[in-house]
Amino acid sequence: MAEIRFEEITKKFGDKVILDHINLDIEDGSFTVMIGPSGCGKTTLLRIIAGIGPQTSGKVFLDGEDISGLPPAKRNVAMVFQNYAIYPTMTVKENIEFGLKNNKVPKDERERLIGEISEIVGIHELLDRKPGTLSGGQRQRIALARAMVKKPKVFLMDEPLSNLDAKLRVSMRTELIELHNRLKTTFVYVTHDQTEAMSMGTRIILMNKGVIQQEATPSVIYQDPDNLFTAQFIGSPQMNVLPFPDEKVRYGFRPEKVHLTNEPGQYFYTRKGHIVTKEMLGSETIYQVRYEGNSVMIKSLEDSFEQDHDVYIGVKKPNILLFDEDERRIRPDDARYEQWMSKL
Amino acid sequence: MTTMTKSLSRPAGYKTPWEKARPYVYILPALIFLGLFTVYPVIDMIIRSFQKWNLVTAPTWVGIKNYDYIFKRKEFREAIVHTITYAIFVVGLGLSISTLFAVWLSKSTFMNNLTRTVMFMPHVIALISVAMVWAWIMNKNNGLLNMVLNFFGLPSLKWADSADTAMMSIIIVALWKAIGYNTMLIYAAIQNVPRELYEAADLDNANAVKKFFKITLPMISPQMFMLLITATTGSFRVFDTVRVMTHGGPGTATQVLVYYIYEQAFVLNNKVGYAFAASVVLMVMIGVLTAVYFRILSKRVHYQ
Ligand SMILES: Nc1ncnc2c1ncn2[C@@H]1O[C@H](COP(=O)(O)OP(=O)(O)O)[C@@H](O)[C@H]1O
Ligand SMILES: [Mg+2]
Repeated sequence: MAEIRFEEITKKFGDKVILDHINLDIEDGSFTVMIGPSGCGKTTLLRIIAGIGPQTSGKVFLDGEDISGLPPAKRNVAMVFQNYAIYPTMTVKENIEFGLKNNKVPKDERERLIGEISEIVGIHELLDRKPGTLSGGQRQRIALARAMVKKPKVFLMDEPLSNLDAKLRVSMRTELIELHNRLKTTFVYVTHDQTEAMSMGTRIILMNKGVIQQEATPSVIYQDPDNLFTAQFIGSPQMNVLPFPDEKVRYGFRPEKVHLTNEPGQYFYTRKGHIVTKEMLGSETIYQVRYEGNSVMIKSLEDSFEQDHDVYIGVKKPNILLFDEDERRIRPDDARYEQWMSKL
Repeated sequence: MTTMTKSLSRPAGYKTPWEKARPYVYILPALIFLGLFTVYPVIDMIIRSFQKWNLVTAPTWVGIKNYDYIFKRKEFREAIVHTITYAIFVVGLGLSISTLFAVWLSKSTFMNNLTRTVMFMPHVIALISVAMVWAWIMNKNNGLLNMVLNFFGLPSLKWADSADTAMMSIIIVALWKAIGYNTMLIYAAIQNVPRELYEAADLDNANAVKKFFKITLPMISPQMFMLLITATTGSFRVFDTVRVMTHGGPGTATQVLVYYIYEQAFVLNNKVGYAFAASVVLMVMIGVLTAVYFRILSKRVHYQ
């Protein structure tokens, strides 16, 4: 059980600012997913919590206690590394036991913990094997077991599923969610995969270039983005964003929020367009539609529209998002909102 | 297509004579080379160790007389003891000091990068070129080492000029020559250990000693094993240091096996048979030792 707080955390490598004055609270018991493009500083932030890559300035608190100066082992956190960092020269059991031995846990207690954890993670029959002989999924479980056996206050996981094949990734996702429900410990989970973030996180922290773009629940991140970056990062295909003619302000709508019709419909935003491409993906179809010099993507359950034909697109008012010249969201309670909406 | 029809037209597993012979034909050049330059000289050496020969007249067969002769002589038995003493110190100290240096150097700083370059220099300089320098360093009157000893209030030593300290002097020079090279190899091996292992160990509350013995050493064990074997065989064949510094003396204080062989063959009346017999003994010793290493240690060597 632990809450993590960052105060003015800055990290530099040489002159390069990687994290820029991060202020953040990670709720106790949450499954917090940190997501962002590659190189945005997710791993760096995780390593700051673990204490293996200390911040340049700022403070980290765990349950209100300043842990900024504490060595990694004293912080009560466990980490699953991106490539697992399993000790290759030790057996699976020795890997799991190493931290316990160093912490002077008595032998029978160690045996009990290892038995318990390897049962949960399902690696009982692997305990005497050397990591070199194991598959990616098995290594992943061992890394998990090694973290769990220490009964930490916080689990840090750095893209733990990125080395697994697609099928295993999906099943491990469910297992991790179950594990979190069972342990009720704070999980801080780094990924660059938005499906993982949306499906696993109770909270999402979206980062870009060392700055937090938005911190919210998955549905708020999707429904109510703070800025253009968030709006475009989450969602696939990404949100259509179009400029108001001769203006810096832009409006956007998600491909799945567009209705296609053969006749003009009763929508707030209606345009006549031309279908340029059509991609059948099974349950849904992706159309690319051109109009007024714009090209937009549309995701529809309807596959009856044909390529090279004209079509009407319609979007409801709440599904149109406005972004100002600084790429910040203009929300309905903003004075400028109606003024811009009326131009559509 | 042709291979397919072929394999269909005959029972599975059947191989034509050419197919059976093919792998051996491919390695034939290497086999010939090995046979000519490795196996043949060894066999020749063993045969000649049973012969009496003075490099001029035809050799005559004397059975085990050469072995009988050398083993009855004190110098030969001493040479074996000296060689083993030398090897123990040069291998033991050489590897442990090098490992310490390598661990220290792997904390990369400007000073350490400079030190690495300097440390490697002894390996590339011919021993003979620095013999003069070492002669000065170990000079019994005003040498550097004695100056250091005197500074700490200790009496001067006669170094290579005294039977008591001559072997130690040779070992010091050998260490000086070997440590740079060993350190470089171990350093390179340490560089290849993934950083995250140490970070994981930090989270696992491992102290520096634990990290060294549980992570670093097992991870670099293949290179350490290789170094152990080359350093051991190299030590058993020590010659140049002895030749340059002491000529096996004073007395027989630094007489080692290869120097003994050299003296029998080329310095004393061309007693080539004795030299060959001693060479066979040396070969057997190195062979047995290497086998023991493999037997005892190879289980603890971790190959990726
Ligand atoms: N040890 C380092 N030295 C210099 N730059 C680094 C180091 N580690 C990471 N970086 C840089 O910091 C940035 C953020 O890295 P990281 O936190 O690993 O990103 P990610 O979000 O992909 O995990 C990257 O631009 C990376 O190049
Ligand atoms: Mg990363």
